Amino acid sequence: MGKRKLTMRRKESIYGYIFILPFIVGFFAFTAGPLLFSLAGSFTDYNITSQMNFTGVENYQSLITEDGLFRTSLWNTIYYVAFSVPLTTIGAIFISSLLNQQVPGIRYFRTLYYLPAVLSGVGVYLLWMQLLEPGTGMVNLVLGWVGIDGPNWLYDPDWTKPSLILMKLWSVGGSMLLYLASMQGVSKNLYEAAEIDGASRLRQFFHITIPMITPVIFFDVVTSTIGGFQIFQEAYIMSGNGEGGPANSLLFYNLYMWNQAFENFNMGYAMAMSWILFVIVFVLTIINLKLAPRWVHYEGEEK
Amino acid sequence: MKNIRISMLLLTILTLTLSGCAGFQTSNNEEANVNEDGKTVVDFWSFWGSELRRPIIDKIVADFNESQDEIEVRHTYSPWGDIWTKELAAIAAGNPPDVVINDINATAIRGKENQAMNLSEFIDEDFSEKFYPELWEATLYEGDSYGIPFNTDTRVLFYNKDAFEEVGLDPEDPPETWAELEEYATKLDVKENGEYDRLGFYPLWGVGYDVWLLNANGQNYFGEDNNTDTVNINTERNVEVLNWLKSWRERIGEDVVNSYQAQIDSQQGNPFFSGDLAMIVQQPTFYQQISEYAEDLNFGVVQLPEYEPGSGHTSWGGGFVAEIPEGSSDPEAAWEFIEYLTGKEAQTYWAVENFDNIANIEAAEAASESDELTEEGQMVYQIAVESMEDTLLTPAPVEAPGFYNYINPQVDEFFLGQKTAEEALAQAEEDVKNLIEENQ
Repeated sequence: MGKRKLTMRRKESIYGYIFILPFIVGFFAFTAGPLLFSLAGSFTDYNITSQMNFTGVENYQSLITEDGLFRTSLWNTIYYVAFSVPLTTIGAIFISSLLNQQVPGIRYFRTLYYLPAVLSGVGVYLLWMQLLEPGTGMVNLVLGWVGIDGPNWLYDPDWTKPSLILMKLWSVGGSMLLYLASMQGVSKNLYEAAEIDGASRLRQFFHITIPMITPVIFFDVVTSTIGGFQIFQEAYIMSGNGEGGPANSLLFYNLYMWNQAFENFNMGYAMAMSWILFVIVFVLTIINLKLAPRWVHYEGEEK
Repeated sequence: MKNIRISMLLLTILTLTLSGCAGFQTSNNEEANVNEDGKTVVDFWSFWGSELRRPIIDKIVADFNESQDEIEVRHTYSPWGDIWTKELAAIAAGNPPDVVINDINATAIRGKENQAMNLSEFIDEDFSEKFYPELWEATLYEGDSYGIPFNTDTRVLFYNKDAFEEVGLDPEDPPETWAELEEYATKLDVKENGEYDRLGFYPLWGVGYDVWLLNANGQNYFGEDNNTDTVNINTERNVEVLNWLKSWRERIGEDVVNSYQAQIDSQQGNPFFSGDLAMIVQQPTFYQQISEYAEDLNFGVVQLPEYEPGSGHTSWGGGFVAEIPEGSSDPEAAWEFIEYLTGKEAQTYWAVENFDNIANIEAAEAASESDELTEEGQMVYQIAVESMEDTLLTPAPVEAPGFYNYINPQVDEFFLGQKTAEEALAQAEEDVKNLIEENQ
């Protein structure tokens, strides 16, 4: 019996490898080379065309000890991640639980809320720049109806990052779809049982729905944290001159890295930046993974 | 299990080796490209792909191809956002195009980094005299040119003649100094019930604060020939200029500034076209928009006013060069095309068809008299050519790449009221000096 189980496991691990083979082949063929090259390059003064001299840890040293813009960009990025990840997660769960109700026309609502996820890229950013225009934009117009004197959004350094987070909240459709799918997979029996026991809708939500969708929440938090750290386009387009203004409030990590690499041609320096970011994201992901067993509930999990 | 491990290991080694081969292969590009007729092929990249510009540059290329039978230029359009990163990748890969249009302000840095070819071997003594000296200077690194100026721009003051007449100002006597500018602007303001029906002027539409600093100082932040031994950021005059700029905002009011700004950004709705704004600083090409959206506007154009009488009508400009990337397969042929591109004939054609400022002085003067321009067009172009004499470029010194990233945020904070002008400029100067030190 024991022997047979082993072969079963062995078979399964072979299947496993076969399933991840496309990624492994792709990784080694296309990603591993540049990855290692950038690690090596981060210890040099590489400028793409003419020089690549070994400079030791100088790049890392000046990044951490001297570079004020590095600190600004890191702070901006952490601020953005710290607010956008929880808010978009909560927002997506909230909307998907609304869209999980059985009301007439729910399909149209679902389509409507998913639409922003289909639209993407520069067009959306330009649209939002118009919406957020302090004097003439829709957002402040609507706020004006309820007597709120709207802020200067993209022109006021205190409001630029909240503007982006607001925009992100509008396009939670992608993760909403994941939550919706997983909510629909929650067994009806659980709700029936809870109802018989007299649990309110709210309690059902917190004690049945949320625990049952924790694997998706976990996945969403991890991927959107990583995605959040990579924010670039939004700042590049919406900061007007593409430099991260006003007052460097939209100078995100990747934007600064891009400027160093392709505006100032300090490729070695930019490579060092990318490795620092890698370490940060890596550590955060490890922490996430370590914390996961405490709150993520897998159905049918072996204990 | 063991077998799997070994096969995985083998696979890993194999793919790593393969990727290694691909990554470090350098292409052998010694031989020139030749087309089927035996002509040398020159690969030319530009970002001029719009409906307006594409046919013009294609015509110039076709004219060149017909003018001789040794070289065939092939034009490739690459979008603005991609062209230079693509070029850089192509240079690093050893297979670059032969001629690329690039930003004039970074020419020296690209020369220093061996991205662009040193062109001094092709240039004879008086070649540089064909171009505006300020433009030529910007292409030099350690005395050698790394790109030939192609087009450029400048900033001039457009004003509404009817509005001038209405308030009793002489429409043929536009403001000459900052003091006059301010005086005229207040006269031109029309306010009813606390709302502006017409605004005279606001200095930060169309240009940034840095243009006014340049105008007041007659020079950029750095010393002679862009040397970084002197850094003139935190000066009394700069403090004064920033405070002067802010005084406009305070007088007119934040909301008015923002709502006008939004209209200006939308282009068609520019308040200058509708007469709601009496004066605005713009590039001469603004005339094209006027003729498209506000045909009947009775406007005049003049060089930027001077800081004080005699300080000079200094304006700011940028532009583009034609360069040969390092590693081009046939630099001689590439150079021949660049000579044609920056020569009088091609430059005049470009100037007239595009209504664009060009680098070749003779061509610029010819264009300003061209019959193909309307009378108004000639007038604007004439001022543009005059303004070119007083136009400075602000290329980043090789020791201070991206220096404006250190100044702009501080000035932003000043305009937002979070810092005084002195504090902001002191911090900016310190940051730029640190940057220079790091790059020494």
